[in-house]
Amino acid sequence: MSVSLPTSTPIAAEASELPDAPVSPQLIEELLRHFARAIKTHQLYLPNNPIYQRAIENLRGAFAAIWPSIGEVVLQISESEFRWLGRSVLHEPSRADSLPWVFYKDGIRELTFMQGVEGEELVVLLDILQRVRKTSPEEDDLLTLLWEQEFAYLRYRFIDISMDTAAIPQASEAAAESRTIPLVEVRHEVEEEQQEADRPGFVRLEEMDGTLYFLDEQEIEYLRAEVHKEQSADLRRNVLAILLDIFEVQGTAAVRTEVVGIFEHLLLHLLAAADYAAVAYLLREAVAIRERLPDLSPEARERLARLPEGLSGPTVLPQLLQALDDAQTIPPQEDLDALFQQLLPSTLGTVLGWLKQAQNRELRTALERTAARMASVNTAELIRLIAAEDVTVALEAMRRAAELKTAAAVAPLAKVLASGPLEARQGAAQALTEIASPGAMRALEAALDDADRDVRVTAVRALGARGHRAALPKVEAVVTGKAVRDADLTEKMAYFEAYALLAGSTGIEQLDGLLNGRSMLLRRRIDPETRACAAMALGRIGSEAALAALRRASDDKDVRVRSAINRALRGGAA
Amino acid sequence: MTAPTMRAPTTPHPPAIEERGSDGYVRKVGRELLLAIYGALRTVKLYPPDNPVVQKTLDEIARIATDFLRRERELEVRVSGEFIFINATRLRLDLDNYASFSRIISVFREAGVGLCRVLESSAARDWIVFLSLLQSPPSGEPDDRARALAEKLAAAGITVFEIGPPSQVDDEDQEKAREAAKRTYAQSVTVTREVIASVRMGKSPNIKKIKRVVQGIVDQILNEDTSLLGLTTLRDYDEYTFTHSVNVCIFSVALGRKLGLTRLQLYDLGVGALMHDIGKARVPLDIINKAGGLTDDEWRTVCAHPWMGVLQLFQMRGQNEIPYRAMIVAFEHHKKTDLTGYPKHVRPREMSIYSKIVAVADSFDAATSRRSYQTTPLTPADVLQEMRVNPRRGMDQVVVKAFMSLVGHYPVGTLVVLDTFELALVHAPSPEPAAISRPMVRIISDDRGNVLFPGVLADLTERDPSGGFRRTIIKVADPDRYGIRVGDYFV
Repeated sequence: MSVSLPTSTPIAAEASELPDAPVSPQLIEELLRHFARAIKTHQLYLPNNPIYQRAIENLRGAFAAIWPSIGEVVLQISESEFRWLGRSVLHEPSRADSLPWVFYKDGIRELTFMQGVEGEELVVLLDILQRVRKTSPEEDDLLTLLWEQEFAYLRYRFIDISMDTAAIPQASEAAAESRTIPLVEVRHEVEEEQQEADRPGFVRLEEMDGTLYFLDEQEIEYLRAEVHKEQSADLRRNVLAILLDIFEVQGTAAVRTEVVGIFEHLLLHLLAAADYAAVAYLLREAVAIRERLPDLSPEARERLARLPEGLSGPTVLPQLLQALDDAQTIPPQEDLDALFQQLLPSTLGTVLGWLKQAQNRELRTALERTAARMASVNTAELIRLIAAEDVTVALEAMRRAAELKTAAAVAPLAKVLASGPLEARQGAAQALTEIASPGAMRALEAALDDADRDVRVTAVRALGARGHRAALPKVEAVVTGKAVRDADLTEKMAYFEAYALLAGSTGIEQLDGLLNGRSMLLRRRIDPETRACAAMALGRIGSEAALAALRRASDDKDVRVRSAINRALRGGAA
Repeated sequence: MTAPTMRAPTTPHPPAIEERGSDGYVRKVGRELLLAIYGALRTVKLYPPDNPVVQKTLDEIARIATDFLRRERELEVRVSGEFIFINATRLRLDLDNYASFSRIISVFREAGVGLCRVLESSAARDWIVFLSLLQSPPSGEPDDRARALAEKLAAAGITVFEIGPPSQVDDEDQEKAREAAKRTYAQSVTVTREVIASVRMGKSPNIKKIKRVVQGIVDQILNEDTSLLGLTTLRDYDEYTFTHSVNVCIFSVALGRKLGLTRLQLYDLGVGALMHDIGKARVPLDIINKAGGLTDDEWRTVCAHPWMGVLQLFQMRGQNEIPYRAMIVAFEHHKKTDLTGYPKHVRPREMSIYSKIVAVADSFDAATSRRSYQTTPLTPADVLQEMRVNPRRGMDQVVVKAFMSLVGHYPVGTLVVLDTFELALVHAPSPEPAAISRPMVRIISDDRGNVLFPGVLADLTERDPSGGFRRTIIKVADPDRYGIRVGDYFV
């Protein structure tokens, strides 16, 4: 609607000429200060922040202070000023951060706050002002954004700056010329038609049933359902389907090039909008189209192929994963699975790296599934990653290789075990244990010399458990040698148990010697922990000769040895 | 309908100052008031007056009315045709308040009441008396019924209401609405022309202006659609591409309003409708302007415009959000409800209700317009009939029905011969929804054929003292045949 309003800012009148103010202008100034502050805090803080909440409360308080006296605040707006009843109530000469300028530049010349605006509409308005400050000149301006909200307590007058070139249509000059229409023919025609109308079967429009034009309940229900369907429809997916159809049906190279360009552009939009299901759909269909269209040009084929490649890029995928991990609500599991299924095998390293990093449990679960799937179909990449510099990635790769019992992983694992950093050596030992192939055992045998106790323990346990008799001499050397004395109880136990498993009855003599010693002096020179471990090992062997050796030592003076013997005799070592 | 070279002369105008938001409060609270009245009408029928449920609803009405009056200083409920106005603001109908609006309109109409002013603070008792009388109206002409109801109110000592019969909007308001409509229409055509010209020059047009003009059209349709619908008769041959897009937008938004879409839904629909043919900007002008038949290749090129429109919409600048709905409308507007038509699709899809609306509006405006390859347009009545009875057109029949209800038997701009042998142009559908074949007309020549300009408005539901209709349409005529430029009477 159009109203008359001076297009220029009213010139400041002499104070004496101004109308009486129903409330003190200081209250309006205070209100606007709080308004400006609330806009800033809205930009800087989240709604649950106390600073933000205080700013909103202060602004509401400023409104509350004036409502008993006036029902509305009408502000005239110039480039640098808000005026109320002719008085300047906010003056900001610099355009940067100027509140009047934010309104003025988009054509708003008058703003009216009505009582009630301090309710829900206030935050909506602050939100719009925040958005409009961030937008580029190309994007929606304040007028458009205000229109989209139907304010009940905010009124504004504006000049539509962008619409000043339209010309109002006028009637043609000939319209007003005096002239006469010959009606003879009309009368004649009417008479003829009348005769025809009298014939049976002729339907006059006027006689048509008027109810044909009114919607019945069923029709209204149909429309309601259609509108509801429209509102809940997946528009992005719909448009993607349209683009894919255009690509397939309209076979010219130029069209396909344009559509692929749109796909590339759209992919980023979809990611930004966190519509991962749509991303997955696009990538999946891109693959399907490549297979379905034999006439596809090499260029189009390559650009389609690059869509998942782009997503799988070393800079893009981490961002995607970060965004997913930061998201307040994680997409449905099937969307995540669908999306990750489209990732290229080369992204395995990135995915593996995120397994430990991801804070979100659902994301981790989805990534676990993805990692398992990718690892199973891409052994080469998996093997390459065993030697990754990022130990987290390397360890995950080893874990996957172990789960898959990938024989090809043994060599790189052995390499890591031989010369890798400590954490990697531990992982490699564990992985080799699970793979348990002869090659893996050989690698573990070498690890008995590792500087790290955990690596040695893992290796010796694996060798014992798998009965890798080739390792017996090394194990025996440890068990009977001096080095074992410096080992802790766990390592001692691991070695003695492995020795029992590998040597069997042939080891009884050595173990008996350690437990029972030929003289008191010798027994004293062997520490009780070692003797206790020898007792446990004899129990593990469990033969009559082994049990006899145990019984001979059953009244040993050392309580730890006696306890071990008792357990071994009861079968506790088993 | 119009002379082939007709082009309304235009005059430049300075930017107008416009106002928004002044009716937001009225709409919000007016709607609350009507819903409360509707609730009370129901409870009053079910329970005795002293029932707490009845009292609660009446107290609610009294509270809303008193608050409203205190703020706005006046409260006037006016029923005109299928619309309800609170003060000067037309309330919006949507699918969620269909039943309440329909009931209130029918109760007011039965009682012969077109106007009810609340003069001062009201109480629950005032409202129960008023609503009870409203639901048991006396018989007679509307004026008599309204008078009788006013007398009964006075006899009951109720003085807070002023009751009147149905009345027309005053001339000043109509003139204002017409001026606003002309400005909106002119801006819309200008922006559409700019957008299409930009595309033809290989530039990326900005969507900001498109949004702005659609906002104007939506506001106009929601407040007073008659003036804007009248301007769709400005079917300029030279400017067909632009005026057609604007007309389709106007028809679609008006139809969407009739179907109960919300303001933002109308906005989405309007953007889709205005841009539905944007793909034609990629079709060579010599094909677009070719008179006579097109070759197969040329026809194929024309048929590509729906999908080319989708691609073009991706090129628009200044998009905060990609206009997905507009793209779907551009793609589907030549599809039939069984998804035949063009362009071809491969993946399964369902046709959007927005596309169905635009398809109807598009077909109607195209068939009734003169174009390079259609020198003799069909009459609006024939087009409506065809859309309704010919299933091969593939229109959604419920949407068609609603469209016919919107434009009436005789759409705005139709030239008709009256039984008085006066010629008249249909100005607006009748305010009485049942009087579908008795629209408001502008008489443009007297019974001797003397042309009148700007003519005289006449309501074809008007009766003479004997009870018969004063005037009745006997025939639809071709304006070209009489050298009548329909658009002249709507600007």
